Amino acid sequence: MKHPNQATLALHAGGDLGFFARWRTERHLAQCESCRDEIAAFEGIRETLPELSEIPEIQWSRLAAEMKANVRLGLAAGECVGNGGSSARTTRLFTGARAAVALASIVTMVATGVLLQNTTPARADQRTVVQSTEDGIQVGTGDQAFRLMNTGVSADNVTLSVGAQGSMGARYVDPKTGYVTINSVYAE
Amino acid sequence: MILLCATRLLAQDTALPSGSININLAKDSPVTLVGMISNESRATARGAALVLDLHMALTFRNAGASRIHGVMLRVVSQEVTLGGKGSVTIPSMNIAPGEAFPVRIDMQLVRPTQMAGGPLVEVDLDGVLYQDLSFYGPDRMHSRRYLTACEVEAQRDREYLKRVLAQGGKEGLRQEIFQIGGRQQAAPLSVKVVPHGPAVTSAALPPEHPEKFAFVEFPDSPVEAVQGWAQVAGNEARAPNIEVRNRSAKPVKYVELGWVLTDQAGRQSVAASLPSAERDLYLAPDKTFTVRQDTTLRLFSNSGQPVNVQKMTGFVNQVEFADGKVWVPNRKSLQDPALLKAVAPSAEEQRLANLYNRGGIEVLVEELKKF
Repeated sequence: MKHPNQATLALHAGGDLGFFARWRTERHLAQCESCRDEIAAFEGIRETLPELSEIPEIQWSRLAAEMKANVRLGLAAGECVGNGGSSARTTRLFTGARAAVALASIVTMVATGVLLQNTTPARADQRTVVQSTEDGIQVGTGDQAFRLMNTGVSADNVTLSVGAQGSMGARYVDPKTGYVTINSVYAE
Repeated sequence: MILLCATRLLAQDTALPSGSININLAKDSPVTLVGMISNESRATARGAALVLDLHMALTFRNAGASRIHGVMLRVVSQEVTLGGKGSVTIPSMNIAPGEAFPVRIDMQLVRPTQMAGGPLVEVDLDGVLYQDLSFYGPDRMHSRRYLTACEVEAQRDREYLKRVLAQGGKEGLRQEIFQIGGRQQAAPLSVKVVPHGPAVTSAALPPEHPEKFAFVEFPDSPVEAVQGWAQVAGNEARAPNIEVRNRSAKPVKYVELGWVLTDQAGRQSVAASLPSAERDLYLAPDKTFTVRQDTTLRLFSNSGQPVNVQKMTGFVNQVEFADGKVWVPNRKSLQDPALLKAVAPSAEEQRLANLYNRGGIEVLVEELKKF
């Protein structure tokens, strides 16, 4: 029996599969207990995700560098221990105590990364700026922004209007509907 | 943990489920939703925020007994932070009872992912304007005034073009449409707006100084601009204050001024509209009032280079009386040389010019006969 891949199962758990893919996956799930278990696991993860999204974004490059440094440190320490006594090959790779220490180290590294991230907040300009762009209009604050697109319309055919109270509008004739359309955003 | 991260990566770009968009129409709504296609909409996770690319094709039907001449929809993602509120307005319509009409919404919205529960996007009907200027809707976005002003402008411009047709024939009408096209492409300057307080000024900017407005007077305007100034430094103009007087016999509840900036090369552009901010403005006849906004405009050429503000011009662009009637400048007033190149074509002029470009002069003449 050919099982659906992990991505398909994850999308199915979120209800994001298209009609045919969903129908095919449901047929498989009806006769495959292991895939049903996978789906249940993904659904559990989805419930956890909102909490996860509240964790600040982790700087993976910094974390990777720290992990690499720790691995090198571990290898160097291993060589020191190896020179002093029994051969590493004669011992089991993972005892319960070693696994616990390794897990604790990883958790500490992740927590350190998160803390370091929090101690150096971005100093972006927090002012709200309203401006036109090549293909629409935009309101932005710091690294947040949103844009209204003038879909299928050249810039020459778009009339921009600015409200001094903090709004901007883009007026154009929608090529698909033929109607004049005015998109507006409000920064207040 | 790796599984969690991988799952999060998988969720970074997904289609929006159909339940994530809510179209809210009241039970007594004079328009009904006939259909909605949104399968090209996407949700993309970026850090702690969710970016929504909305591509919605909606079809409504006029369920009322009168012709619809304008509609405004309110689009809300979240009310409290930047990136959540917009509107889509269709002015210059002519929809008969029972007739269906399409509305497209192409927006990119940002909302925090931690706001769990409920639909991602709410689309409400904010207002419907009818042929006789009667109105339906909650009017949270001031759609009554906005749609009425558009309609009054549309009536003004259609009447003008009908006169051009009567006096100059089809060739005269064709020439007028060419001029509309020229005004459409004439804006040589662009503006960035910082809504509250002074911008972060560059050390290269010269010291700030107060600059007086020059005003273009319209003889038939119910409100006159008496005096005004703003602080100017280099390519920035901020904190405009304009004193206006109600010279009509009726009380006024809203005034909007046009703010034209001219650079050193003489290029000018309507930089912004300057609305009266007070929600409960009541300007009795012969009384004065100061229109002010705590805002900064930055002037740029179309190539993105800062250009210094050389001159500021103001004019009364819109007045709403306490009885809900709206005044806009007439065609003759807008022919003033100080405004001719700065004021963009109206929505109706834009629609009619587009009609001419797509169907030629005969289609345009037929369209004018419908009104």
